[in-house]
Amino acid sequence: MIEIRNLSKTFKLSRKRRKEEGASGTDGFVKAVDDVSFQCRPGRVFTLLGPNGAGKTTILRMIATLMKPTSGTIEVDGFDTLQSPREVRAKIGFLTGSTNLYARLTPNEVIKYYADLHGMEPSRFRQRKEELFELLDMNSFADRRIGKLSSGMKQKVSIVRTIIHDPAVVIFDEPTTGLDVITSRSIINLIRRCTSDGRTVIFSTHIMSEVSMLSDDLAILHEGRLLYCNTWSTFREGMIEASLEEEFIRILRGDKS
Amino acid sequence: MKTIITVFRKELKDSLRDRRTVITMVILPLLMFPVLIGLTSRFVTSYEEQAQEKTLTIGLSEGVGAEGFSAGLEDADNLSVITGLSLDAATEMVIADSLDAYLLFHEEFARQVEELGQGEVTIYSKQTEERAIEAGRIFDLLDEYEVELRELRFTGLGIDPDAYHVISISTENLATGKEQLAEMVGGILPYMFILFCFLGCMYPAIDLAAGEKERGTLETLLTSPVIRTRILIGKFGVVVLTGISSATISLIGLYLGVRYVSAIPAAFIDMIMTILEPGSIVLLLTLLLPLTIFFASLQLTISFFAKSYKEAQSMIGPLYPVIIVPAFLGMMPGMKLTAATALVPILNVSLATKSIIAGQSDPGIMVLVYISLIVYASIGLFFCGKTFGRESAIFR
Repeated sequence: MIEIRNLSKTFKLSRKRRKEEGASGTDGFVKAVDDVSFQCRPGRVFTLLGPNGAGKTTILRMIATLMKPTSGTIEVDGFDTLQSPREVRAKIGFLTGSTNLYARLTPNEVIKYYADLHGMEPSRFRQRKEELFELLDMNSFADRRIGKLSSGMKQKVSIVRTIIHDPAVVIFDEPTTGLDVITSRSIINLIRRCTSDGRTVIFSTHIMSEVSMLSDDLAILHEGRLLYCNTWSTFREGMIEASLEEEFIRILRGDKS
Repeated sequence: MKTIITVFRKELKDSLRDRRTVITMVILPLLMFPVLIGLTSRFVTSYEEQAQEKTLTIGLSEGVGAEGFSAGLEDADNLSVITGLSLDAATEMVIADSLDAYLLFHEEFARQVEELGQGEVTIYSKQTEERAIEAGRIFDLLDEYEVELRELRFTGLGIDPDAYHVISISTENLATGKEQLAEMVGGILPYMFILFCFLGCMYPAIDLAAGEKERGTLETLLTSPVIRTRILIGKFGVVVLTGISSATISLIGLYLGVRYVSAIPAAFIDMIMTILEPGSIVLLLTLLLPLTIFFASLQLTISFFAKSYKEAQSMIGPLYPVIIVPAFLGMMPGMKLTAATALVPILNVSLATKSIIAGQSDPGIMVLVYISLIVYASIGLFFCGKTFGRESAIFR
């Protein structure tokens, strides 16, 4: 469960950016997230949809305690991200499209490293690793250096790394960016499987097909503001435009008709 | 503590599988001294042999003095003499390198010697460092000629030629082997140790901070339920270990160099071995440890701030001269470890190492060196911790 209330995040612009945007009246600050509230429930996929710069990554980083909110609160499974960041981090798995792995280590070593960081008991780790390696057919390359693996194999290692500690909340930040169709599909399947285990899943994307394939709940963000937030079925029923893409653009434009 | 060890072990394993780290941490320091010692000794020996064996071509002026001198050269080895040359012709030949030297005996040379005066001789040659040994050979020939003439003069005057020497001078060098060693290599050794400490830290510092940022692995690492300070300590430990290992391996390289490279005088080997005693090594390492912590914190701070591996490299690169200048100053003759120089980072290590090698370290000043190094290391650590905890640096 993720509970977000009146979340805002303001960044100070770099000197270079301040000079570039001097005339636009930003006073040297930019609001990346502006008074956003929503709730992600267990067993459901919550999709954050928005164009580049909408604030999706910033929200996910704040949920993962990588960034601190300027104002507002975030609770993950009952723990406040500012008051109890370690407890929050123990509950989450985090995967981004830009995440890479340690090329000089083997899948076995990487997975063991993250399990140790999460303080997993050795017996529980072994059991969980065997399950996941079996499920994703990883045993054949478990002791090969990651740098020598194909992108599909690497993605499998990333997936296991994300969920090895059995997190209650899984965060996916544009997880299919730059991946081929087959690898993207394996990520989509993983996201779906996560919800069947009763986990809370939040994922960000700007790819419409992923939205329709995965979403249980949908939030549309633009320039840091929440323009829409409801269940996927309600969104679909209320669509004015024929396609999701057209509807998305209509909402971004603020067109009421 | 367990998580620190987890991070430390993983980072060490990762770093030791990085070719660049292994080259700067092990191969370069291990081979530097043997190669340097080997090449230098071979080059110097070969240069000296060539200069001694080279056939010198000497031009002589006309006149009785020159004739007397040339008569004594008949049996000399590796010597070719051209007599009766004019100054103008000889000068052109020296410039064109067809003559190594021209000896102009004064036209009154014979009379000057006859009248108990000094016979004048002028040597025309290219006086460069490269030709120092050749010049020495010419001076030796003239010295022999002078001794011959002096004996004739003293015998003519009825004086024993040995009476020429009124004082017999002999010297006894009371400087210890360590002091002589400090004089000879006291500057270059600390310079090398400091350089290896810095280089040893460099690639792990870049890879474990900027490299992780660039790969995106830092983000996932920071979402684990580990206190950030523990992650930092684990990474920091690896960077310090590689830096100090690099300097220690250079000591092993020095040992191997002097032990197994031929053409090094035995006395020099004995002197070098005195600094490889356990006591001296421990003292050196206690100096290098806080310095390495300072280097590691400095490089990690920059690396955490940098956006990418490449940017970190370009930001750490300009630190080289900053490191080299004080280390180089320590090599200057007359530069001593005082209360003031003990406070200058890097220079203090360079001078303190020199005094350890000489066996002359002043405990009071050494305490100052340690205090200042610990202060600099602490400042470095403070900034490193600040940068690692800063959102704006991690997501720059």
